[in-house]
This record gives sequence, structure tokens and C-alpha cells, in this order.
Amino acid sequence: MNMANVISPSTVDALIKFGIDVAIILLKIVIVLAIGLLHVAYATYFERKVIGHMQVRLGPMRVGPHGLLQPFADGIKLFFKEDIIPAQADKVVFYIAPIIFMAAAMVNLSVIPFDANFVIADINVGLLFIFAMAGIGVYGIFISGWASNSKYAFMGGLRSSAQVISYEIAMGLSLVGVMMMAGSLNLSDIIRAQGESIFGMYAIPQFIGFIVFVIAAVAETNRTPFDLPEAESELVAGYFTEYSSFRFALFFLGEYIAMILMASLCTICFLGGWTLPWYVLKIFPFLSYVPGVVWFVLKVYAFFFFYYWIRATVPRYRYDQFMAIGWKILIPVAIGNILLTGLVKIILKEVL
Amino acid sequence: MTFKHFIKTITFIEILKGMALTLRRMFSRAVTIQYPDERRKIAPGFRGQHALSKRGGKAKCVGCGLCATICPSQCISITREKGQVTKYQIELLRCIYCGFCVEACPYGAISLTGNYEYSAYNKQDLMMTKEKLLSNWDKYMPGTKGEEYYKKFWRPMSEDFGTPPGQAMYGGKR
Repeated sequence: MNMANVISPSTVDALIKFGIDVAIILLKIVIVLAIGLLHVAYATYFERKVIGHMQVRLGPMRVGPHGLLQPFADGIKLFFKEDIIPAQADKVVFYIAPIIFMAAAMVNLSVIPFDANFVIADINVGLLFIFAMAGIGVYGIFISGWASNSKYAFMGGLRSSAQVISYEIAMGLSLVGVMMMAGSLNLSDIIRAQGESIFGMYAIPQFIGFIVFVIAAVAETNRTPFDLPEAESELVAGYFTEYSSFRFALFFLGEYIAMILMASLCTICFLGGWTLPWYVLKIFPFLSYVPGVVWFVLKVYAFFFFYYWIRATVPRYRYDQFMAIGWKILIPVAIGNILLTGLVKIILKEVL
Repeated sequence: MTFKHFIKTITFIEILKGMALTLRRMFSRAVTIQYPDERRKIAPGFRGQHALSKRGGKAKCVGCGLCATICPSQCISITREKGQVTKYQIELLRCIYCGFCVEACPYGAISLTGNYEYSAYNKQDLMMTKEKLLSNWDKYMPGTKGEEYYKKFWRPMSEDFGTPPGQAMYGGKR
């Protein structure tokens, strides 16, 4: 019996179309994951290199020319290390925690528009989705702290969840200004609205929000100067103290993917994503031939460099200072920014 | 909070100053010496592994024991039998490289060479015997280097307070 007799040709066409769509999405996922993981590997390398040079050292030099193969050596080492689980640990939860943490970070890569037409899932609530997933990532953190059954891990987990939750508020509020200016939560739409605006990038009109976002992004990813959850001098390594081998690598991976994500979010919401401001294109018209993904990636790298730079410069805050910055300064400032943005928007509407 | 302090706080001026410093340092030359590939140039008169000096192919050491006496960590042991030095041993693991033995030796018979790479897997290899110490002299103080070493850094006491030519001698030996 011929297939065409059973299923109508239009259904077959629709099925084929669906299959092709799925294949394209799978291909995109593979590309994004492969490039993302490669970036994680080399983010660690460049972090050590940049901080090394800032401290007048060389950083990794022995594995490969200028230590270029160091990330792979580290990865192989972590893979073949003994996987130690504490005897009193809650085994099931202990296994799940790093997976939750990393999955919550990785899922976010699906809504990031890397270029005008390259995004795995172009959803209308992209920004909210990222916040939601960042919130789920906290589960991974405090579950791991609890399951390890170690005081250091527990303290680190508590600190980290308190920190991520507090700074998520400041970050969300700092992005409200961007949402108001763009009039959308869709990340691609935010970039398009940005490219068409007078300033070209929202970092200029929204500079208060930008500063709040940058500080909150550093705190959200548990990086120095806000790396209290893993403060070496107090808590050994924080919530993943008891993790070793590949489970530790999963936490490490999740952390760096969260960094990539925050850098991308900053690029999308404040630095104009794949677009260049119109005045730059007017001065250098030939730059419009460069594919947009190059600008996106360059902006992300710049933000990464900023991460390394402040890590090499600023010492760690005390915990109460840190909470005071979040609740007493950043959140009121972000709310003030929303008020200001709204007022300016109304005034501009009345005048024009 | 004064106005000046307020401006300082909201502009992050102090953090920015620090960041400018780290950025400047990033483009300065690293001080790292990549050890097995490149080595630090050792200073002249460096106090490294020991050697027993030779003159005319024979050890200068007569086994008087001054070095063993002055050694603060007591790592030198000397045995003398029938006018011959039968055992001269230095325990490198105990030596603190103070250079007192070289200073105490009246004849410039012991020296500290520039060699500092002599790690070993067992304790026996770090017990310097007389033979090893003598071969160190050929290895690390070749040619006139040994003589110059004494002239520049250590002046053996015998050069200043030598036996006068007219002094009575025992058995025709000085």
C-alpha cells in the first residue's frame, strides 16, 4: 500500500516541513552548545592569562604554545579524578544538584539571539524566561549545599542563595527601564528597537540601569568582589566544597555558562546586540559588511574582560556590606531609574 | 557624608583608579622566569653545592677539622688516619650554606660552587663524599675559575698569615 493513499499529500508535506524544522533546531542546539562549551574552556584559560598578566605573571605557559591546551588538560584531569561522595551525604540530592545547576544555566542559551536570524527559540517572554531559569539555578546551589552535609558547603549554599535572590531583584528592576524603552520582552525585538533608537545602544540613555545591571550581574554569577559564597579564606570553596571530579566540573561549567549568559544579556539589553549604533556606521560605512555575530561576540568578550579585570582589582566585600549594597543602594536606585525613564517617556510623548 | 565624599562614591573613582593600575600592569613585562627553559643568572660568589679544591690534581685539604668545628649545623665529618684524610663527608640536607667552612679554612681547600640543581630521590645521594666533592671542583670550578673564586670572595688566612720562611719545621714539611 502506498503511503500517499493513506496520508494526504498536504499532511506529508507538513510532516516533512516539521522534520526539517526540528532538524534545523537540533543543528542550532549542537552549534550553540559546542561553541558555548569551547568558550567556557577558553574563558578559564583567558581568565588565568589576563589575571596573571595583571599581576605581572605569565599565567599558564607549559601545556602547548603559551599554554593554549591548558583547558583540555584541566578537563581531562577532572574527568579522570576520583569521584568522592561524603559518607553522610544525601546521595540522590547530591547527584541531582550539579545537573540542575548546569541545566538551568544552559537552557538560557536557547533564547539568546546571537545574530539577526540566529536564535534557537524566539519567544516573546525571553527576558522573563532568563530570570526564571536563573531562579531555578539557585535550587542547584542550595540543594548541593544541603546534600553535602558539610558546614562549609551549607554556609556557602545559604550565602549563595541569599545573594542570588537579592541581586536578582536589583537586576530585574534595572532591566525594567530597557523593557519600557523597547516596549517588548522579546530579546530580538529589544535589539531591533535599540538599533533604531537615537543613541544606538541603551547603555547611554539607561546608564543608571546599566551600572546597576553590571554590579548585579557580577553578584549574580558569584564572581569577585561578590564571591562570598566561595570565599576561600572562610568557606574553603563554598557550596561545592564536597564535590570532586566530574560533578565539580559540572558546577564549574554551569558557573561559566552563567557568566556567558550575563555577558550576553548585557550585550543584548544595553550594548545593542548584533547591531552597531548608526553614528558609528555613518563614520565607518564599511563596517556594515561585517556579520552581526562578530559584533555580538566582541561585546560579550569585552564584558568578559571586565569580569576578569575587576577580579584582578577589587577585594572581596564583607557580607553585611554586600547585602547593604544590594538592598539599600541598588534596588532604590533601580526603582528611581524606572521612575525617571517613565517620566522622560511621558514628557517626550507630550512634547512630540 | 560630605559632598566630596558623595561624588567620590557615586563615580567609583577609587575603583577606577585601581582598575587603571591593573590595566597598566597588564601591558608591563612579566617578572616570571620559566625555570627549566630559562635560568636566573646566579650572582658571583653564589653559595651552592660544596667542592674540595685541588692543586696539581691533589686535594688541598689536610683534614685539620676547622671547618667541621665551625660548622653551625655540624654537617661536616672528617676522619684522619696516618696523616691521610680517609673520610670527608658533608650532609647536604643539614647544611645551611652559611659559608663559615670556606671562611675558616686556612688553605682555601673547600669552596661553595654555583651549582644549585642537585635534588635526589634518596638521602644517600645527598651525602657528599670526598670523591664527589673533588669531582665537583673539576665540574663547577674548571680552569682558573677556582683560583679567582678565592681571590675575589674568600681570602684564605694562610695568604696573610703564612709561615715565615725561617720557621722551624717538623719532618721537613711545612
